[in-house]
Amino acid sequence: MSTAAVRHGFAHPVRKWVGLALAAVVAGAGAIVGVQQGQPVQHVIFYTVATLALVVWAWNAFAYPQGGPAADAAHETAPLGARAAWKAFLLRNRGLIIALALLLLAFIVASLTAEGFFNGWNVLALAVIVLLLVVSVKVSRFFEANRSAFVGLMVLVALFAIGSFIVPGFASTTNLKAMLLFAAFLGLACVGQTLVALLGALDLSIPFVIGAANVGLLYLMGLGVPSWLAVIFILVLGTLIGLVNGILSFRLQGQALILTLGIGFAVSGLVQILTSIGSQYMGNVFGQVPGWLRNLAAMNGHTFGLPLPPVILIWIALAVLLIVGMRRTVYGRFLYALGGNRAAASRQMISERRYWWLAFSISGGVSAMAGCLLLGWSGGGFIGVGQPYLFMTLAAVVVGGTSLLGGYGGYGFTVIGVLVLQVLTSLLIGIGLQLEWQQFVIGLLILPMVALYARSPHIRTQV
Amino acid sequence: MADARAQQWSSQATSTYLLVPILLLFVLLIVAVLRGPNLVTSAGLAGAVLVATPLVLATYGLMATAMAGRGTVDLSVGPLLGFINVTLVQLNGQGIVTSPLAVFAYVIAVGVAYQALMALIIVFVRVQPIIVALSGFLALSGINRVILPRPGGAAPDWMLSWGLATSIFSPVLAILVLATAAWLVFTRTAFYGHLKLMGSDERAAYTSGVRIGWVRLGAHVISGAFIGLAALCFTALIGSGDPTQGTTYTLIAVTALVLGGASLGGGRASVIGSLLGAANLFLIGYVLATFSFGGVQGFVTDLAYGVILVLSLLLTVALPYLQRWLRRLSPVLVFVVLAMLFTGVMLHTRYAPTDSQPAAAPVTAPAAAPAEPPTAATAAATSPAAPAKRRAAPPFVFEQPAAARDISLTPLQRDAGIAALLLIALVLFSRVVVWQARTRRFTAFMYVSLAVVIVLGSWALIQTIGPSS
Repeated sequence: MSTAAVRHGFAHPVRKWVGLALAAVVAGAGAIVGVQQGQPVQHVIFYTVATLALVVWAWNAFAYPQGGPAADAAHETAPLGARAAWKAFLLRNRGLIIALALLLLAFIVASLTAEGFFNGWNVLALAVIVLLLVVSVKVSRFFEANRSAFVGLMVLVALFAIGSFIVPGFASTTNLKAMLLFAAFLGLACVGQTLVALLGALDLSIPFVIGAANVGLLYLMGLGVPSWLAVIFILVLGTLIGLVNGILSFRLQGQALILTLGIGFAVSGLVQILTSIGSQYMGNVFGQVPGWLRNLAAMNGHTFGLPLPPVILIWIALAVLLIVGMRRTVYGRFLYALGGNRAAASRQMISERRYWWLAFSISGGVSAMAGCLLLGWSGGGFIGVGQPYLFMTLAAVVVGGTSLLGGYGGYGFTVIGVLVLQVLTSLLIGIGLQLEWQQFVIGLLILPMVALYARSPHIRTQV
Repeated sequence: MADARAQQWSSQATSTYLLVPILLLFVLLIVAVLRGPNLVTSAGLAGAVLVATPLVLATYGLMATAMAGRGTVDLSVGPLLGFINVTLVQLNGQGIVTSPLAVFAYVIAVGVAYQALMALIIVFVRVQPIIVALSGFLALSGINRVILPRPGGAAPDWMLSWGLATSIFSPVLAILVLATAAWLVFTRTAFYGHLKLMGSDERAAYTSGVRIGWVRLGAHVISGAFIGLAALCFTALIGSGDPTQGTTYTLIAVTALVLGGASLGGGRASVIGSLLGAANLFLIGYVLATFSFGGVQGFVTDLAYGVILVLSLLLTVALPYLQRWLRRLSPVLVFVVLAMLFTGVMLHTRYAPTDSQPAAAPVTAPAAAPAEPPTAATAAATSPAAPAKRRAAPPFVFEQPAAARDISLTPLQRDAGIAALLLIALVLFSRVVVWQARTRRFTAFMYVSLAVVIVLGSWALIQTIGPSS
């Protein structure tokens, strides 16, 4: 590989210089940060040189297309002049160049309009974003299968780095715990959405089931039902709602989105009517949340003495179970088979109906669980507690890289998507943005993130 | 016979889906009329048009992009409507966009510009449309609350009189009619054919030379224009700006679209269906508002929305199985029969309170409401046209004893009654002629029953009109 890289490097001097310039920028930024933080000068020099060397190596190793003999031959038989090489370089990277220009433009506009925006940390953040963009675009070409996971991880690392630069206390244990806690709730809400998306459908009843479980659990416990029994009852009920979703939407696969929405409306309306009967607080349920449930999900919860809310561990365990299960078990493989090609799957005697029902049932059950845990977190029932998850689950699945058309993706991707969204939200909160600005920025960022890996092929390649 | 059946299929492939919304519309209308006479007064209808028009236009906007296929469900329709609303209010407040021409140009330009941008992203970046829509949804609903943190502001002065809903023939109705007519004209163009083809099978469209990029762009531009008009009517309705309506409008517009028989998969949608779907959603809210559930009102509304949505979707599933019986049943005929039923109920409720015991009416009326429509519906669904027509007669018989009493109809009701009768006579007649021409069998029964219906109906109307004039 190295000889090829060297040969190409000499064939295209422009690339070499771009790589060197990039390395210099990155290393320089590192040096500036080091000096500002008051590190020993020897360390700064060492790390700067190391960064420089690493970036140059990475550029030479990855930034060149690994052309086979044919590509090499083509290059050698038609040696390009400097101007032509420059032109070809521009043409090949036009998307990246446009993106970088837009980014730079946005930065300049922000510097000119916002007071105090132009400072060292923000320049550093810009450098990190530029680096991320270049590396993502250049390196992700080598990933055939898990490109979205790679890009997602890069985005995650970059966001985290920017957050630690800009926001004081971003990388503190408390903040990490808080981020993980909220990520766990979002992640639980996304379990069903991922499974259903693998079959090519969408489940919009999730937020309503979460809200209904939240209120219903508190109501049941207020009636004097033992808390463990109430939780089990709610979980079973949630699974049943999911099953109803699955049964009703099986024949309406194109309209599953809207049918689940209808079921969601009905469920949340019904639960509120039921809980309002005989109560003078219309729609509001008051009650005492048992200690074990609060410990399960509250910020100051403990797991076997560890100062970590158990809900995070529950989420991690469920994620591992799902990721391994989807990969290893027959059920998981058949789910992918169905999502990929219904006709082929049915030829293999895979029952589409059963998997469709199963996916929706799991979705309902896990959503109900998320609702119960959210009750432990907040300590009070509220039907609207699930509303933020209406489109956030969709966004997390999409950002993670699971195809909404079915058959590609998995819960591992969704975990990355959830973490990216959560770190991004924390970062935006840390900068001091209002909720509406956060929503605006997240909305704008979903598109480029997805565009990095989820572009569908042109129609002419599908004919 | 085979080719005749094929013809039936092709001509009714979309229109059969209209049966569900038509049925639902009249069930709701009858319940609404039984619950209170306010809807069929001039002011009531004017208010209904005013409230329903933004939803109808938003549904049209959604329909244009949903037809383009690839699972385009434009979630951003509500926030876009809100965006145009709040920017219009803010610009009006600063005196920049005030004149009618400027306002119209502004709303349409913003809607078209946004949708064109979305289309360009979908065509060139090739990201799934629903992701683009989701992105737009989040971004717009965020920025709306930045532009206008809480409901407030004022619509242009000349628009304030629109919101009073004093007459049915308001500018809002004119916009609605023109928009519907524009869509109907649009369905006659070759571009519409391309759009349908692309929505049903994009590859087939591409290989047959349709320039799918341009068609998609066109669909989005049309959608943007409709959403702009919807935002204008919404501004007229509330007379101010409201940044919080986004999610609600998206959800109910998608619901209205699906209720109207459109396929979210693309290629199948009809303007009449969307109109009926949106009208149904308005009526659900209206009917539920006439009941008083106290503190749980909102929850009952949620429940009813959900259940009706699910039920009508399930009916859509059942339609292909009922196709064997429904084949001869034209939606126009069903519409007219049900319209006649509704007219009967409307006339009945108009004079029921003048009976000796007014308290009896509300008791019997709700009981009659759920019972009647299903019988008409099942009769219409299970039998060909002839028995359906026979079943259509009872409402008039049913009203006759009361018709002899002293009644004063509002001019509106009288006109509606006469119009309904004329309509049914015309449609039944032409229907019978066409049907008989095809089957080459003469059934005197058809003509007899037709004549009976007309005579009975006219007699009833003369009876009712006589004393008042």
